[in-house]
Formats: sequence, C-alpha cells, structure tokens
Amino acid sequence: MRPNALIAGLIAIGLLVFGFLTTPDLGSFGITVMSGLFQGMLLFLVASGLSIVFGLMDVLNFAQGSYFMVGAYVSYAIHHDPSVTAAIPNADLRFIIAVLSATVIGAILGVFLERVLLRPLYSRPIFQIVLTFGVAIVMTEAVKFVWSTTPYSWTSLFTLREGFFELFGQRFAVYRLFVIAIGFILIIAIGLLLQRTRIGIIIRAGVEDREMVEALGINVRLVFTLVFTMGCAVAAFGGAIAAPFLGASIGLANAFLLSAIAVVVLGGLGSYGGTAIGSLLVGLAVAVVANFASSPSIGLPVLSSMTPMLLMILVLLVRPSGLFGKGG
Amino acid sequence: MLRRTLNSNWFYILLCGFLILLPHLIGWLTGDSPLGVRGRPVGQSIYWQGIFIEVFILAVLAMSYNLIFGFTGVISFGHALFFGIGGYILGLSLEYTDMTAETGLLVGIVITLIVSTLLGLGIGLVSLRLKGVYFAMFTLAVAEMFFIFFGRFALTRAEDGFSLTELPEWIDPTRNRLVFYYIAMTLFVLTFMFIRRLIFSPTGAVLLAIRENEDRAKTIGFNTLAFKLLAITLAGVIASLAGILQVIFNKKVGPELLNVSYTIDPLLMTIIGGTGTLTGPIVGAAGLHLSDRLLRDLVVTVGDTSIDIGANWTLILGIIFIVVVLIFPYGIVGTVNRWRAKRRA
Repeated sequence: MRPNALIAGLIAIGLLVFGFLTTPDLGSFGITVMSGLFQGMLLFLVASGLSIVFGLMDVLNFAQGSYFMVGAYVSYAIHHDPSVTAAIPNADLRFIIAVLSATVIGAILGVFLERVLLRPLYSRPIFQIVLTFGVAIVMTEAVKFVWSTTPYSWTSLFTLREGFFELFGQRFAVYRLFVIAIGFILIIAIGLLLQRTRIGIIIRAGVEDREMVEALGINVRLVFTLVFTMGCAVAAFGGAIAAPFLGASIGLANAFLLSAIAVVVLGGLGSYGGTAIGSLLVGLAVAVVANFASSPSIGLPVLSSMTPMLLMILVLLVRPSGLFGKGG
Repeated sequence: MLRRTLNSNWFYILLCGFLILLPHLIGWLTGDSPLGVRGRPVGQSIYWQGIFIEVFILAVLAMSYNLIFGFTGVISFGHALFFGIGGYILGLSLEYTDMTAETGLLVGIVITLIVSTLLGLGIGLVSLRLKGVYFAMFTLAVAEMFFIFFGRFALTRAEDGFSLTELPEWIDPTRNRLVFYYIAMTLFVLTFMFIRRLIFSPTGAVLLAIRENEDRAKTIGFNTLAFKLLAITLAGVIASLAGILQVIFNKKVGPELLNVSYTIDPLLMTIIGGTGTLTGPIVGAAGLHLSDRLLRDLVVTVGDTSIDIGANWTLILGIIFIVVVLIFPYGIVGTVNRWRAKRRA
C-alpha cells in the first residue's frame, strides 16, 4: 500500500471513529455520515473541474464556485417560476428540466469564459488568475442584479425531495441518498472517461506534457475548451441538484470555492483520484466537526466552516504537494 | 545636490504641497471653513476631507499590494487579513483594556506592528515555497478563515463588530478631522517615499529580478525566499497601518475589514492604475474611489430602462476590471509610460 493512500485511509478512519464517539447513537451517527457524504459529493462536482483544468491548462479557475451558484439559481428559478409551472405541472419532470437547463447554461458560460476571456491570456498566466477572480465578482453581481440579494429556500416539492426512510430510529431524506448516488456514478463515469477513452488519454497526456501532445499533432486548444466547459457544466449541475437542499444564495459561491480549493490542494493538484478522495474526506470532516462543535457542551459552530482550511493546512504540513500530488 | 534633488523630484514636491493646501483650497472654493461650520464638524469641507482621507487609506493599501504583486510578482489573495488584523488589534487595545486612550492607541499601534510582522513571516515561511497559484490559494484560505472566525467570535461582538468610543480627542476624525487628514496624508507620503526608496535600492533590484525570472535570480546566488519574505512582510505591515487608519476614521471595528473585498479593491486599483509602477496604485485608488463617490447617486436612463449606477457599481467595476486585464494590461500609468518611452526613442 502506498503511504499516501495509507494517510488518506487513516484520516478517514480517524474521522469515522471520532464521529462515532461524539454521536449519542447509531441513528445520529448515520445521519452525520450521510450528510458528510452528501457534502463531499457536491464538493467533488466543483473540485473535479478545478483540478482537471488546473492540471491540463495551469489555470486556476476562481470562478468555479460561481458556476455552482449560478446552477443553483437557475434550477431554483425554473422550478419555481409560475409560467413554467403552468406549462409543466409535473414537478418531477420540471426538476429534470431545471437541472438540465442549469447544466447547459453552465456549459455556455464556460465556453464563453474560456474562448473569449481566457484564450488571449495564455501567455500571461498570472493575469489568468486575476481574470477568473474578476469573473467571479461579475457573476456574483450579475446574480444579485437578476435575483436580488435575498437567499431563496426551496419550497416547491417533488417526489424525490419528499421521501424519507427510517433506520435506527432516525428519519433519513431520500434526496440525500440520491445526490450521493449521482456523485458516485459521476466519480466512476469521469474516471472511466479519463482512463478508457481516447479523449481521456489525450487529457491525461496533456496533464503530463502539453508540448509533447501538441507535437503529436493534436489540437490541444480544442481539448482545453472541452475540458473547461465540462468542468463548468459539472459545477453548475452540482449547484442545480444541491438547490433543493441548500437553496440558492450568494454565499454558495464562496463557500464551495473555498472548500473545493481545500479539497484540490489536499488531494494533490491535477490528481483525479486525489480530488475524489479529498472531496469525501473534507465532506466527512465538515459533517463530523459540525455535529461535534454544535453540541451544547462545546458551542463552537464556527469550527465547522473552518474545517476544510484546517484540514488542508494539516495535510500540507505533512505532505507539501497534497496526498496524491506529484513530487515531495 | 539640492538642485539635483529638486530636478528629479519637482513633481512629487509640488503634489505634496498641493495635498497640504487641499483642505484650505476646498474651504475657499466651497465657502465652508476646513475646521467645520460654526465650530461643528459639518459642511462641504469636512465632507471632502473625508473622501480624501479614504483615498489616502486605499492608496496606502494599494501601494502595499503593488509591492508584492507588481514589484515582486507574487500574487496574494489574502491581503485583507493584514488590513483587518490592524483594525482589530487597535480596536481591542482601545476598547477592551483599562488603559487611557493615548496609551491604548500607542500600545495598539506597537502590537499591530509586531503581530503583522510575525503574521507576514509566519504565512510567508509556511507558504512562500508554494509557487504562484498555490500561494494565492493558501493566502485566500488563511484570510477567509480569519474572516469566518471574527464573523462569529463572541468577544468582538461577532458579525456586528463594535464601535470605538475611547479615541483621544485630538485624533478623533469627527471632532478634529483636519488633523486626521494630515495624519492620513503623512502615512500616504511616507509609504510612497519608502516604497520608492526600496525599489531603487539593491534590494528592490532583487525583487524585480524575482518578478522577471525567479529561477535565474536564484541561480545568480540570491536567497529569493528571504527577499520574498521581506516583501510580503513589509506589505503586510503597511496594510495593517492602513487598517488602523480605516478603523479610526470609521470608529468601527467589524469582520467586514477582513472581507475579501479589501483584497479585491487594492488588486483592482493596482491593475487599473498600472501594475509595477510607482504611481499606478495611487492613480487607481484615487480614480476608483472618486468615481465611486461621484457616480453613487447617478441613474442613467436609456430608453425605457433606467440603470442605477450606484447600486450596480461593483458589477460595473468588475466589467471594467475584466476589460482592463484583457486589452489594457499595463494600466493607466503603465500605458502612459510606454507611450512616452516610445516617443522619446
């Protein structure tokens, strides 16, 4: 077993044991684990794009969290819009359409950002970071302009969102399970895409050595656009399926960007497996710490929002290039 | 000797003289005394002094950011941390101790200098080995952590923050605003002189070399880590002084001081004014803040739709920012300098 996998496993086991010891019974432990996995899967949807894009293009997209936020707003708006509701009375169908439209809008905004704004700047990498930072501001302000600053919470129900099941005397939301399942499917699907398909091989080769891929006659610029767009679309999709639980608010952008950055850094920049494992670890850690810190005897709810950063700093101190990063 | 000094500095000396006379000039133009109307701190003079104090504070912050971003080529997204820490320490030492206002102020400033130095060294040592983006992410994460912490920290009244009530009277900007104007101006002038001196010194030459090509600077034999550490620590200390002024001016301490907007603002001002130029951040700070103030109440009506400029100022700023980064990469001062150099050649 490689030492990095060992460290990751130890962190996971440590978190689970700590979570088990700090929850009163099996039911609430289950709830903690489930909310951790839920959080982790959503994080993965933001972090995977961040990580693959960085590995391939050396661009850190500080607007990735904003795509998540836009996805949440679009999905909320479509599902709650009275005229759409009148046209499509079936709430389940409307949800599918809302999620699909959010994903498509994310993809369109992604193409725009890569093609129009980032492309002229490949010779000036530091300005790319600055630019994506600017795009993040503009997206937040544009959302405020369209939807005002009030946060929305999801009120229109559909089958999946309503369902509950009982286990160990606790009620579990079916929707969380659904998001976790979708997350697992996407982790495997993107992994297969990277490992088994021609485009995946090109992407992985590009992460290793971009010039060499170009020398082989492959249009790397086109691959850049494709990967960047997919990253943005997946983030917007994440926001869309998160909205029924988290609602739509401005704060989503920053919260998910910062946690995703923590995930990507502690997993090792550019490492797909590291990102997937890192997401789950951070999600789990946030849930366990939130449960522990909000208990009346501790009373430090602030601790849970600081958890991703603390975990990242901790891992960076032990392994400066992240759990699965290259080099030491 | 004197003539040479005058020859190369006449512009700055004139500017300095202008800033000293500015409150009186405004007083003469508006008819309101610079000391306030009928012994009370109201009137146009006081209002404009306030705006220029804010310009000074923002310019100091932008100049400190330019020191690391423009001259050393290190991109930090955590500059707000130093700004906010300065404000919080001063507020805590004034309000949460039994010291008299004067000692509280002095102790607050000294502790701020020490803490911001240590913080700069600490963050630098842990993270400066990380290159480019890693450093940007790390600083963003650390700064946000402090923002989250002070937003929920019960002792400093969490999100509400607390207001300063124990300021010494002579510095209190609501009573003696003209004095505070000159204090802010002094910090502004000193910061400018310090950074100018630093950049034209051998140390400054190494910083520029790191920006141009860090590996080469290292190969020549410079300990680039030490120089980067110096730059980020100096920038942090200067930013924390700006934070102190901000807190005294607003008489309020709160987590908004640590908000990422105090990183974005100096970044914007530096880029729009001219990255890596001496006067760029000042031009950017003055230009952005004055236009923010002047356009705040403006509503533009095009056909049937009217757009409230003030309410959407950040959106407009963000778009200007993107346009500048894309097609105007040297900023205002940088472009003018290039144009002049081309004409001379």
